Amino acid sequence: MKRFSVVLFSALACVALLRAAEKPAAAPIKAEGFSFVKTVGAISEYKLDANGLAVLLLPEHSAPVVTFMVTYRVGSRHEVTGTTGATHLLEHLMFKGSDAYNRGKGTSVDQFLERVGGNYNATTYLDRTNYYAEIGNEHLEGYIAIEADRMRNLWLREEDRKPEMTVVRNEFEIGENDPEQALDKEITAAAFQAHPYHHSTIGWRSDIEKVSIEKLREFYDTFYWPDNATVTIIGDFEPAAGLALVKKYYGAIPKSPKPIPQIYTEEPAQSGPRRVTVRRAGELGVVGIAYKTPAARHADIPALNVLSSILSSGKTSRFYRALTDKNLTLNVSANTGYFHDPSLLNVYANLAPGATHEQVEKLLLAEIDRVKSAGVTAAEVATALGKIKAATAYKRDGYFSIAGNLNEDIAAGDWTLYYTLDAAMAKVTAADVTRVAQQYLDINQSVTGWFIPLAAK
Amino acid sequence: MKFALRLPRSPSHRLSLFARSPSRARVALVATAALALTVLTTNAQVAKNAVREKIAGLELVVLKTGVKEVVTIRGSLAAGDALSPDGHPALADLTGGMLDKGTTKQDKFAIAQLLGNVGATISFGTEPSALNISAKCLRADLPLVLGLIAEQLRSPAFSREEFAKLKQQFAGNYRRQLDETDFRASDSFSRAVYPVGHPNRQAPSAEILASAEKATLEEVQAFHAKYYGPATFRLVLVGDIDPASAKSEVAKVFAGWTGGLRPPTPAPAKPGAVDAARDQNVFMPEKTNLSILWGQATGLRYGDTDTLALRVGTSALGSGFTGRLMANVRDKEGLTYGIGSYVAGDTFVDGDWRIQGNFAPEMLEKGIASTKRQLTEWYTNGITDAELAQRKTGLAGTYKVGLSTTAGMAGTILATLNRELELSFIDQYPARVGALTKEQVNGAIKKHLDPEKMVLVKAGTVPGAR
Repeated sequence: MKRFSVVLFSALACVALLRAAEKPAAAPIKAEGFSFVKTVGAISEYKLDANGLAVLLLPEHSAPVVTFMVTYRVGSRHEVTGTTGATHLLEHLMFKGSDAYNRGKGTSVDQFLERVGGNYNATTYLDRTNYYAEIGNEHLEGYIAIEADRMRNLWLREEDRKPEMTVVRNEFEIGENDPEQALDKEITAAAFQAHPYHHSTIGWRSDIEKVSIEKLREFYDTFYWPDNATVTIIGDFEPAAGLALVKKYYGAIPKSPKPIPQIYTEEPAQSGPRRVTVRRAGELGVVGIAYKTPAARHADIPALNVLSSILSSGKTSRFYRALTDKNLTLNVSANTGYFHDPSLLNVYANLAPGATHEQVEKLLLAEIDRVKSAGVTAAEVATALGKIKAATAYKRDGYFSIAGNLNEDIAAGDWTLYYTLDAAMAKVTAADVTRVAQQYLDINQSVTGWFIPLAAK
Repeated sequence: MKFALRLPRSPSHRLSLFARSPSRARVALVATAALALTVLTTNAQVAKNAVREKIAGLELVVLKTGVKEVVTIRGSLAAGDALSPDGHPALADLTGGMLDKGTTKQDKFAIAQLLGNVGATISFGTEPSALNISAKCLRADLPLVLGLIAEQLRSPAFSREEFAKLKQQFAGNYRRQLDETDFRASDSFSRAVYPVGHPNRQAPSAEILASAEKATLEEVQAFHAKYYGPATFRLVLVGDIDPASAKSEVAKVFAGWTGGLRPPTPAPAKPGAVDAARDQNVFMPEKTNLSILWGQATGLRYGDTDTLALRVGTSALGSGFTGRLMANVRDKEGLTYGIGSYVAGDTFVDGDWRIQGNFAPEMLEKGIASTKRQLTEWYTNGITDAELAQRKTGLAGTYKVGLSTTAGMAGTILATLNRELELSFIDQYPARVGALTKEQVNGAIKKHLDPEKMVLVKAGTVPGAR
């Protein structure tokens, strides 16, 4: 116990040291048309009074570049039967142009960003959709102008949907080629019967193929509004100038005429273990086990993150020693879901040649039982905290990395988790980890899946 | 091998996150990805700010950047797969695989514990021409990590028990790769464009698996003794570093190490020199997506006169959404999620030129026809003034934005050393691209490529094939 206290103090001291290395945020500025909301760490939040657009600013001047990102609080959890995959398909169509910015004029978002150079992309997930670019700071205004324009002025044309549908269908097909991804879809679908996390963000194939442009328009007109979005600027810019640009291009957009629909469906209690099987051509098997876990904002998430690390991170982890080091698996991962609504802690074990599904599943469960019955050690927690401490620094190595992390916090419903989650993890004790293992690694709240490879016909 | 560390808030459902652009590992899509460079400021002057010295017999580059706390380490050693003895293609990989299985001083768990306690990572991996070292740590832990890298490189335990495990792991991981259409396409493509004896030519899978099966610990130890040493070792440290301390630490931990052998440079592969079918199928049952590779050997290394012009021309064809392949085969015709073109494998030796794409089985024929139209038009008429101008400004922007992470910077510096170029090349790169003319670019395309000699490999459930 004494040893643990010393280790914990050391870890906390290190986190504090890292925090000190980060520049504190400048005092909030007064910008006409904006309300200052709060500052946490080096990030300040403002709200555009005209339409409720949230704005996060993180000035950092070590390089003359800037990352601009818009996060819409709409993801595949907002879809229903018939429109699965619509959020993602719409994200693709967001690049097809508007009257002001389009390929014909030479002003499309692709043409602009590839002319000025930089990195850009868009992604869709369960709770959110984001669009972002890292560019030279002199191009910030140009990008904000295009991004703001396509919030409400997007062309949504059948002639664009048709070819993009087959693009997305090919994306779906690429995923289906992967045994772990195919199994993950089935496990998740079995875990969530009522909640829309049931279906994968890519959607079901038939919905991808058949969703109409009218439905996509309806989706756009429901969710793409400033009061359902957060824009984030990170890098070499002055806050007052950044806010002025946001106001210039987003200020005239009205807020949503109707309240943004909220998801109220809760997954009913699970009353026993569930199993799924995927049999397809392939080389080697996979065993997956998923346990129900709380939403990202829940107080138990930090301890669950530490638990995942103890189970599967590196050669010192429980699963490595029990399975991979004995040549029963090629690797085993364990990850705690980090989402707006309750999700899953997933364990995936890729079988080594000669290992059986029964054998691997039995050993995974034995290790989980051992954590629940005998607990974890202070040394294991200390190792996990060491990794967390370093990860806190690593995630600041590049503006893109910061934006990527912040994006998931915004989606989870509280961007301040960017700071508070690390701080909470630094306080996790061995007793906390044992408690959450006992509480959440419950076989009656789990889904077990096997990918069984079939020999070539 | 992969980093063991996961960021705490990395999404667990990572399998189901979908992005508009395929990952860069799949195709080169960002405007100038094929030309990627890294800088920290507009005029970073890497050559001026980096410390480059021969220390303890190895080549060391240290660059302090503005990042706080973080240090990234990249290194390479001439101990890649191509140095495996004839008929024993798995030997280099198995040797590299023994590095993280314990040393003569401590076992693998003790090393993993030391690294885990401070959140540091070290990984080793082999590619055709090199053993690569990749590590990341906090500033205060640099001595620990450098010490462990040296210990692992210099004195692996070569435990018989660990070697037996490694052989099985190797076979399992290799079989897992055989399930991937991208891997299968790339594997066959390498034998279709590179002649026997060329470092970029991969051995057939049966030979690799047989080699792993029959390999002995003594053979691995002999390979280590022959090729591991400072003579070919390049080490790059980037981030929050005190260069003087880093240099003395490197000198200390590698003191007294000797050996290493630079392999002879192979004769460049002649385009079309391999007597291989121009159209090849790698049939894999029940695959919903096919991977294709279409290209040829170029005979060019990165530093050769025409390579830059060829790369710029290639980016106009197949980099980014404004590249002709994505603009037409994907955006206009909807035939693929990802397709691009790039120059590959030219860091250590002469490389190849390739188009890489994905098609559903029912889209394959149309997709290949569409791709061929773009390739033919591009090859026949070359790129336009507007395309060249766009690539130039895009590159200038990418130069500025660059790979502004320690990993990006370290990777670029190491690649520059391995290309046997001066570090000033990094600083001069935008100007070199800016000076290219359309005639140079189109001339390089015509001079070094020939669609008639290109090989098309399709991996997956090819319609009509078995």
